[in-house]
Amino acid sequence: MAYSEKVIDHYNNPRNVGSMPKEDPKVGTGMVGAPECGDVMRLQIRVNPETQVIEDAKFKTFGCGSAIASSSLATEWVKGRTVEDALSIKNTDIVRELALPPVKIHCSVLAEDAIKAAIGDWKRKQGAEESQASAAAAPAED
Amino acid sequence: MSVSSLAFPACWNCGAPPGGGHFCVGCGKIQPLDPASGYFAFFGLPEKLNLDAADLDRRYLALSWKLHPDNFVRAEEFERNLSLDRSSVLNDAYRVLRDPVSRAEYLLARHGVRKEGQTKQQAPPELLEEVFELNESLEELRAARRSGDAAESVALARSLETAGRNFQAKLGEVDSELAGAFGEWDAALDRSAGEDDRARLMARMNEILNRRSYIRNLVAGVTQELGEAPGE
Ligand code: FES
Repeated sequence: MAYSEKVIDHYNNPRNVGSMPKEDPKVGTGMVGAPECGDVMRLQIRVNPETQVIEDAKFKTFGCGSAIASSSLATEWVKGRTVEDALSIKNTDIVRELALPPVKIHCSVLAEDAIKAAIGDWKRKQGAEESQASAAAAPAED
Repeated sequence: MSVSSLAFPACWNCGAPPGGGHFCVGCGKIQPLDPASGYFAFFGLPEKLNLDAADLDRRYLALSWKLHPDNFVRAEEFERNLSLDRSSVLNDAYRVLRDPVSRAEYLLARHGVRKEGQTKQQAPPELLEEVFELNESLEELRAARRSGDAAESVALARSLETAGRNFQAKLGEVDSELAGAFGEWDAALDRSAGEDDRARLMARMNEILNRRSYIRNLVAGVTQELGEAPGE
């Protein structure tokens, strides 16, 4: 399959690969999978509680080149945006940016779902935070 | 949804009404393929998921003999082409129906339940978590083997074997769930169950098949990794 130059670039130099402590209340983790191929993706965001701005993002993807490129691009795009703004990122934006062929659309869907799942997880944590104001410090784990 | 109820032209040769078979019931000439008829109908089978493999093999052999282009060397080019068309569909249909998983995937795709890029349904988070972790250990093993760290590689191989066994067992569980759903589907056809019942059963099979694809992927990954001798 002929990958576009941008896909190859992200594939060879993926941005923001890694992980953040899942228990950190400022971190939201999105874990998603594509049942078509059995590939899995994890995308994490760290949000500034005052400004709601996503200050950092990390990903790890076990999947095809397009899925790796999509998630790499997604971490670049969410950084510096507010949580609400990041929710507006659509898989079609990723398809356009990376020039993905139709058979690779599900790989970009995976990245959009991962952003949504990470934000959803972070929001859940905020709700839980408020209900138990004396949350213990996050255990150090990576 | 039987083949004969679909509007399809009369026999091109003798004008007999369409019988839906491979050959005209009137003159015996080979007939064009109705694109709507599908793989089950091609073998003269109902859309049931528990399928007798030996029976399918017999039908396949009988049809490949009857439809074989060699039988049409002296026929018109038109008929020869029909025989080529039908022979190639025969092979596709046989390949898809012979395997229970691809058979179910085919049925769901045919009824619009399973579409590329549209499966929004997510697997349970614990499963994804587990899949992710096993992928990570696979990656570690690859890296350790590449760096030639023998001791670590042995330990990793052992934990991978354990994980591989777990996933093999999981695959077995999923497969028996799938077999149960097959039985329910067939029973639903037998009692001419309504659309709602069928849709519910198909949605469940779709969910089972989704779970299965992650597990199968991992089993394959583990098998491949353990199958390669270190340092290869
Ligand atoms: S082929 Fe599975 S995510 Fe791309």
